[in-house]
Amino acid sequence: MTRNTKTTYSLPDRDGLEARFGVRVASMLGERAQSTAPDISERLRFAREQALARAKAARRQEQLATAPVVVGRGRGAVLASPLGWWFKLGSAVPLALLVLGLAGIAHVHDRAQIAAVAEVDAALLSDDLPPDAYTDPGFAEYLKTTRE
Amino acid sequence: MATDKELSDFLKSIEKRAFKRTAFAVRDDDAALDIVQDSMIRLAEKYIDRPAAELPLLFQRILSNATMDWFRRQKVRSAVVHNFSEFGGSGDDDGDFDILEVLDNLEGTVGTESAADSVSRDQILKLIETEVGELPARQREAFLLRYWEELDVAETASVMGCSEGSVKTHCSRAVHALAKALKAKGLAP
Repeated sequence: MTRNTKTTYSLPDRDGLEARFGVRVASMLGERAQSTAPDISERLRFAREQALARAKAARRQEQLATAPVVVGRGRGAVLASPLGWWFKLGSAVPLALLVLGLAGIAHVHDRAQIAAVAEVDAALLSDDLPPDAYTDPGFAEYLKTTRE
Repeated sequence: MATDKELSDFLKSIEKRAFKRTAFAVRDDDAALDIVQDSMIRLAEKYIDRPAAELPLLFQRILSNATMDWFRRQKVRSAVVHNFSEFGGSGDDDGDFDILEVLDNLEGTVGTESAADSVSRDQILKLIETEVGELPARQREAFLLRYWEELDVAETASVMGCSEGSVKTHCSRAVHALAKALKAKGLAP
């Protein structure tokens, strides 16, 4: 039987018709896909198992990365949590504070020594007796006899 | 986070479709199996922390990328460009051929007893598979993602890396091309 009339469809009808056709063809494709050759099914099963094994390994690795681990042996063994850079940074802060503290103490000590020497120099320079007098052997002898 | 069982069930549910879809694209069963296996492993290693509901879309993206990587490795860029190029308007402007009417008729015919009377069901399924395999790559990709993998238009566009309008166009052209091909093979009244 030949068709002489042409059916007209609105846009939503056309979209719906295409979608229904697509789903129908896809379901038939699915039916066909279920009957794949045994060797292909076997390889797909193997691929799936490989993927699952990798997933388990990835999970284990993630757990190891977050759980505390024992570092060292015997009495020296300690629990360490390898939390990455933040953990290392946290460990470095006290050490840095110690170094800064020591540098500060050295600086204060140096300043005190400089101040003491400056005080002696100032006393010598402001005294009535000229500093050259202390290098004179006669004056030194005078001081010795005076003390006695 | 998807459990082992959820991942296993998901992979089991998609493995055959994924293989077929890839085999359509690369036309080599061994290569398709390798690509599917790589995609499964990539999903399992990199995205195991994602919820189970996100796995289908993630897997489709990974599979599409893995297929493209395979083409790149094969250094058949010219073939890829040919396969993945836009195929404009072929058959859509056939004035004597009311494609929508054929679609309407086909929907009630394909796979029913009246079709099975003339051609065995297995032959019909094989014919449909062949015709889907003959579609231009982008049309086939859009068609399979939309109707076989049941992704919506936005998800399909995301996997294919194109606009939603392009997806609709590819799907429409694929449906029309299939309907026309099936009618030519006597599957329409």
